[in-house]
Amino acid sequence: MKAIAWLPSWLQVAPVALILVLFFGLPMLVVVAVSFFDYGQGRLYPTFIFDNYLEIFSSSVTVRLYLSSLKFALIVWAVTLLIGFNIAYFLVFHVRTLLWQIGLFLLCTVPFWTSNIIRMISWIPFLGRNGIFNQTFMGLGVVSQPMEFLLFSDFAVIVAYVHLFTLFMVVPIFNSMARIDRSLIEAAYDAGAGSWGILTEIILPLSKTGIALGSIFVITLVMGDFFVVKVMSGGQSASVASALSNEISAIQYPPAAANAMILVAIVTLMVSGILRLVDVRKELTG
Amino acid sequence: MKHATAGPRPWTFYVFASFFALFVLFLYGPMTVIYILSFQGPTGGLTFPMTGFSLRWFHALVTAERVGDIGGAFNRSIVLAVIVALLTVVLSVAAGLGFRRRFPGSGVVFYLAIASLIMPGLFVGLGIAVGFQLLGLDIDWYTSALGAQLTWTLPYGLLIMFAVLGRFNRAYEEAATDLGATSWQRLREVVLPILLPGIIGVALFGFTLSYDEFPRTVLTAGTRNTLPLEIWAMTTNVTSPALFAVGTVTTIVSFIAIGIALISIAVIQRRRTRGSGEPI
Amino acid sequence: MPSGTRNGEIRIVDVTKRFGDLTAVRDLSLTIPDRSYCCLLGPSGCGKTTILRMIAGHETPTTGEIRIGGEAVVGLTPVQRGTAMMFQSYALFPHRSVLDNVAFSLKLRGASKAERHRQARELLAKVRMERFADRLPAQLSGGQQQRVALARALITNPRVLLLDEPLSALDEYLRLRMRGELRRVQKDLGITFIHVTHTQLEAIAVADLVVVMAQGRIEQAASAREIFTTPRSAYVARFMGGQNVLSGTVESVIDGHAIVADEHGASFSTVVDGPNPLKGSRLVGSIRRDRVSVSKAQGCATASGKVNALVGEVHAIEYQGSYVKVTIQRPTGEEFVANVIDDDFFRDPLDIGDSVLARWSARDVLILEGAPDAGAASMDEAGGMLV
Repeated sequence: MKAIAWLPSWLQVAPVALILVLFFGLPMLVVVAVSFFDYGQGRLYPTFIFDNYLEIFSSSVTVRLYLSSLKFALIVWAVTLLIGFNIAYFLVFHVRTLLWQIGLFLLCTVPFWTSNIIRMISWIPFLGRNGIFNQTFMGLGVVSQPMEFLLFSDFAVIVAYVHLFTLFMVVPIFNSMARIDRSLIEAAYDAGAGSWGILTEIILPLSKTGIALGSIFVITLVMGDFFVVKVMSGGQSASVASALSNEISAIQYPPAAANAMILVAIVTLMVSGILRLVDVRKELTG
Repeated sequence: MKHATAGPRPWTFYVFASFFALFVLFLYGPMTVIYILSFQGPTGGLTFPMTGFSLRWFHALVTAERVGDIGGAFNRSIVLAVIVALLTVVLSVAAGLGFRRRFPGSGVVFYLAIASLIMPGLFVGLGIAVGFQLLGLDIDWYTSALGAQLTWTLPYGLLIMFAVLGRFNRAYEEAATDLGATSWQRLREVVLPILLPGIIGVALFGFTLSYDEFPRTVLTAGTRNTLPLEIWAMTTNVTSPALFAVGTVTTIVSFIAIGIALISIAVIQRRRTRGSGEPI
Repeated sequence: MPSGTRNGEIRIVDVTKRFGDLTAVRDLSLTIPDRSYCCLLGPSGCGKTTILRMIAGHETPTTGEIRIGGEAVVGLTPVQRGTAMMFQSYALFPHRSVLDNVAFSLKLRGASKAERHRQARELLAKVRMERFADRLPAQLSGGQQQRVALARALITNPRVLLLDEPLSALDEYLRLRMRGELRRVQKDLGITFIHVTHTQLEAIAVADLVVVMAQGRIEQAASAREIFTTPRSAYVARFMGGQNVLSGTVESVIDGHAIVADEHGASFSTVVDGPNPLKGSRLVGSIRRDRVSVSKAQGCATASGKVNALVGEVHAIEYQGSYVKVTIQRPTGEEFVANVIDDDFFRDPLDIGDSVLARWSARDVLILEGAPDAGAASMDEAGGMLV
């Protein structure tokens, strides 16, 4: 009797479940399996060896790559958090009419729906040696020589990341803040709290889930990115993912797979760490 | 801190507002530069100054002059995006409805979807590509790439449906049953029409996420590229403002899709919440 | 729709409803006569809404039977049962006009547009909403939405109309007006109405049959007058308000009167009906608040020796227009309330803190069943306290 009650739900969810299993679950298992394969001359040999992992762990390049990726992740996280929090705060607490709120929110989100690659590339005319920044600053006499560090550098990578991913901070934090009951803030004000007190005692704690969600998005996006870092650093900087994509291009699937597994493990650790601090399940299921 | 709904604004407002304005500039500035530069004169380069104002680079796209198969890629991207949008809507709405009840395995599917959302697209693409290879299948844009893109759009669709259904008052369904509706009539006459704005949102996500998708598609599209893949190839091969022209065109398409969706939602919402009645 | 029979009598037989570990309704039996206006009254969680939904067909009893007009209806759809429901939130379809909302059930049955619009307009005219036929629900006020919801339910020609807290979303003024309308509509149509509410005044104002419920069971089902003047248990007495509840042990039986004294010095007597109660047995009695007279006590610290009297200190005075509610606090901390007619009060007004003597006649003492403290806790949440 009970099974029949669930049957409609199963049927309704089955297609999504099927696609996720076929095109996500199984492929991930394939990656796990491949990480133990042997390879050579562009061919795969299905076996079970640890060589790929051993090579990664014994290489000093690995540590360098991870440090580089983590560096980017941390800096981008901090910057996007700062910007995202302030933008969300402005939209929720300083904008008065709902119409303006929605309008400005849309204004921020629309770029998200256009091509990432184009948005990334659009920085090149800005930051290049003959780019807009340099031309303006030189024209204003601020600098006498074009600033080389603007493009094809870590700076450019970070600028691009921030440009692309801040939105992923803004939306969850906006969501969390919008749910805060205004009467809580009035009550605090009534009890004598100043702006800073209200921020630290009420707004910050109640935005925790939004901040956690946004952090998870940003960190996984940066750690998993392979093209922004390549293009914007001109090949000078590397991240784990970009090294991975090189291996894939060279049809060295097993080491790429092994690298992928390790990266996933590390990112999962980071995400679990965040989830330990904040429970996001409630936030997601509305 | 006063958050009055009327009266003079505190000085902090102006600070935040300026910050916001700067942020918007930051978001839109570079893209605007690209749009302007795509009208670069025939002899111009990849940056300012503009040597003239011409449509030469747009022309170049159409005549496929040293810019690869832009036309074909464009078509494929649009078709794929429409298919993905349709599939995402149908599957997400169904699954969203199914999730309203607790059923065994609901947790598994939920976490599977979240994992699919967070997993870097490159790895998913790798798994699919190698998997197809091991099975002896060819990867192609309308098979493996379609599947790969769905793993990206379906979780978003699900989350949107969760949010929309969470706010849905089940009394509407009970009222429909009370008045004699069968399950099918209930769905068609009451549930889906009321959820329409959310469904349009899912369609929008499905379309734009597919249209712009890169990491998952790069390994699973096969020999015939989608537009983002063509653009990626262009970043290394093409050193002319034709690249910017592509950017402008593709952004216009995105804006059209967004515009249609948002206007439809706005129209529907306005009709349903317009004004207030006279008192009895 | 049931052919021929338009009998809207409802028989609930030994119905129990469990939701997992929670039992919302226990072994409940009730008969609601055809064409009557019945109110299910009780605090939140008492099971009244569950009963309503089971009659409507939106819930199924765990055990037990429900019969409408003699037919067993468990397992039938609402339309098959001939019932229609008016929801607490009205649940008007936001994407349809008022006219289309009302015509909805006809559309489901395949009626032509012209025909169903005609019928819908007729019904809207009956609830005086025909002017708003082309509006959307969001453009209507609460009271207007309610009338549309009523029309939408009535178009199915039900033999029983079920109303789930129909007035709770309205403001006070509208509530009073609308309840009169509901009564009028019920009499006009001649069908059974079942109206769920937690407001005592509302229930006794409209209902032929008031069913007071607590914790999944019926405490008392009777006419409004009976419930108010002769509550059966301490719970009903306290829930309806308007009564003071006293309890004690029987001290003696003299002259057909039993004298009952509580531990704190007050005693009451009552006319004995039937066999004499045993000495030492426990009795619970209630006295109507408006049958208590209050006077300033001169120096007597206790009322010992006096039957049907007690002393205390005035704790609160509330002017209620035609009477003044005087709350007396006994030395034990319990409260005793007297509703004094305004002229009588202002002849010699009392102040807070005054020592007073409250008296009543043995004729007005009613013996109650059950435990003396039943309902004491729920008084806080009963809300909308009566007199």
